[in-house]
Amino acid sequence: MNKFPIEIEKGLTTDEYILNMGPQHPSTHGVLRVVLKMDGEVVKDAIPDVGYIHTGLEKMFENRKYEQIIPYTDRTDYLSAVNNNLAYCLAVEKLLGIEVPERAKIMRVILCELNRIMSHLLWYSAYGLDMGALTPIIYAFREREEVIDLVESMTGGRLTHNALRIGGFKYDLPKDFIYKLKNFISHFNDRIDEYEALLINNVIFVNRTKDIGVLKKEIAISYGVTGPSLRGSDISYDLRKIEPYSGYEKFEFDVCTGKNGDTLDRCKVRMNEMRQSIRILEQAIDHLKDGDIMAKVPKVIKPAPGEIYCAVEGPRGETGVYIVSDGSEKPYRIKLRSPSFSNLSVLKEIVVGYKIADLVAIMGSLDLVIPEIDR
Amino acid sequence: MDYQQLLSKIKDKINILQAREDLGILNINIEKKQIREVIKFLKDELKFNHLNFLTAIDLIDNNQIEVVYRLYSYETKEKIVVRVKLERQKPEIETISDIFRTAEWHERETYEMFGVKFLNHPDLRKLLLPDEIEMPLRKDFFHPDFEKLPEI
Repeated sequence: MNKFPIEIEKGLTTDEYILNMGPQHPSTHGVLRVVLKMDGEVVKDAIPDVGYIHTGLEKMFENRKYEQIIPYTDRTDYLSAVNNNLAYCLAVEKLLGIEVPERAKIMRVILCELNRIMSHLLWYSAYGLDMGALTPIIYAFREREEVIDLVESMTGGRLTHNALRIGGFKYDLPKDFIYKLKNFISHFNDRIDEYEALLINNVIFVNRTKDIGVLKKEIAISYGVTGPSLRGSDISYDLRKIEPYSGYEKFEFDVCTGKNGDTLDRCKVRMNEMRQSIRILEQAIDHLKDGDIMAKVPKVIKPAPGEIYCAVEGPRGETGVYIVSDGSEKPYRIKLRSPSFSNLSVLKEIVVGYKIADLVAIMGSLDLVIPEIDR
Repeated sequence: MDYQQLLSKIKDKINILQAREDLGILNINIEKKQIREVIKFLKDELKFNHLNFLTAIDLIDNNQIEVVYRLYSYETKEKIVVRVKLERQKPEIETISDIFRTAEWHERETYEMFGVKFLNHPDLRKLLLPDEIEMPLRKDFFHPDFEKLPEI
């Protein structure tokens, strides 16, 4: 057993005790254990214990061919599988020097943004449950189901699509896809207003989240926090803007930021991001032209010796893949840089001094996905 | 700013063993005793304030383990990769977890996966693995349950 570096102070104090939260706890959203040092209801120290579902993906990758790796990357972040696929495919394409056809690029953007909406909707419903609001999940899952149906008609899979290939896309769009997508876009903005009225602007919710778990700029940067959690602290950093990939440079959208870096700001950033995703989808329909969906890719994928790091902006932040190639059919080393890994490590800095009920609110606002941390 | 300009900026301050360009990004190899100095210099002087990741590569043919630090700057949008080669038998290097707090977990992961010991680390325990598995990402790792896929 690992020994946790928590000690209880001796002397004339109130009783301090150690509390285990998880690994089986509804608000950790997966098998995450947090060892807490408590004084009454106040959190004094919090040490996350991860690794319960470590599957050794990075070792497995060393033993697979390049094209065999794509379905494994789906399983790291199952809520936005395509962002992981994309980071990996972009990295291999860059190593091989393949230029992806225009149509495939736009299709990838559409799928990425649909995934972002899926992921944020799930976060919204689960966060409502964490805070004791049981209605939001019913509303959000109604639209999430629509999005998943769209994605299913496009790729054949609901959560883990495995639709991207090195050099393009596996299937072309079904005939009625654009019609369905337009239909979805036409009413989704109103639905976001509805969600905000239900939960985010609710007085009880605001009282529970405002000025709770304030993440300062310097701390966020030092801990490598990325994604909406970083943007909530008023840092305008979005890889889609800074280093556009897969044709994002053509799209007009705003980078949503918060002001104080508290829990409420992180929530608002996510809600606003869904509106921006809709803007991107509207433009993507205009950009979509007929054409090839696969580039010419050699039958045996053997990149030249070298290395590459490619990152995309997933719903949780910087999702990166680092590949070292030795010139053979199998990668020499692959490192997955997952956003939740860094986002969780900041937990201790933002929960100490708050009550245990606030811990649930703060942890939920980081939007963690555990398989991504454990890999 | 391309990599030549960046290189000329840091050349006088850091003793670089080897510098190369890889897909537009400057890679520098440095000595292991310089690591804290270099990372501090890059963070304070050149505003490289984001550590994307830290990991290691097992170079079994050269009997070395290479630790890789990848840095990014929110202000200048520059990227740089710092690499340090360590002996494979006893890999040891100073921690940078007080300079970049995110390095704390990345170093713990590198420690359990490659056996790289980070000196003066505040809490060098295993992060993801159970106790009985040691250094799985080394190329000579053996475990009875771990079989290589058959060649097709």
